[in-house]
Amino acid sequence: MTWISKTITVFGGLLLAHACYSAQEHAALQSFKAAATSTLTSSTPAASSLPVDIAIETIVATLITVLGLVLGTRPLRPIQWRVWAGKIEREGEEGFLGNNGEVEKDYMGNPFSYLESRPSFVDIRKQRKEFSQWVKNGGSQGKN
Amino acid sequence: MLSERDYQISPIVQESVMHNSKALQNLQSLSASLFGISAGILGLESYSGFLFYIFFSLLTSFLLYTTHILSASSTPKGYKENKNVTGHKGLGSGVTGVKRYFRGGYEFWFGGVGNGFAGFVLTWTLFYGLVRA
Repeated sequence: MTWISKTITVFGGLLLAHACYSAQEHAALQSFKAAATSTLTSSTPAASSLPVDIAIETIVATLITVLGLVLGTRPLRPIQWRVWAGKIEREGEEGFLGNNGEVEKDYMGNPFSYLESRPSFVDIRKQRKEFSQWVKNGGSQGKN
Repeated sequence: MLSERDYQISPIVQESVMHNSKALQNLQSLSASLFGISAGILGLESYSGFLFYIFFSLLTSFLLYTTHILSASSTPKGYKENKNVTGHKGLGSGVTGVKRYFRGGYEFWFGGVGNGFAGFVLTWTLFYGLVRA
């Protein structure tokens, strides 16, 4: 996903640079012409309007670059606590992938996960049974 | 405007608010400089330049709305069957649109006009001067 937006942005930037160079050349040419033709009148050269193709190129380049930037923006997160927690509960880390397909660094994890590890709710008899089973099996295969 | 009590009933995740506004501001300042460049190339002056800026920053907000908000706040998959049961829409999918990601619509739609204004004027004058030297 990230390379699409980067490619679009770079392409738009190239178009914009080309348009900028064209406009600069046009202005230089105009001032040169004006200086060559009207040396006698010595009036300030009237700023002729930009050729329409340069204007169109500039606008199109701007639109393309903005599209690339918008596509490159990181995914937004819900701000309401219930919506946010529901999204984590439903999607887990899948819902918090950055543009590069990795989990974002400031992803905090499930806010309810402490409920799963409360010591008072540990089934100690079941764990003891599992442990004795594990010892009986030789202690190498791990828990069954 | 929400009162204290409303915030207690439906709390807000500060980290998400900061994440969203950071992403939005990043986009807005970058795109404002970009609009300054193109306004300078086009050689816009006075009101037409400001109108250009306002139009394009609204367009940016609209693009962000269509790509990041409309697509993401559709009903999540797997919870569609909840919809028809008792009329509610399923867990946590009740808030849609801009309200899901930002405090208010104003910050999203018009915040960019103020945020990137200085950058816009800076690059506008710079490129106007560069092109029409």
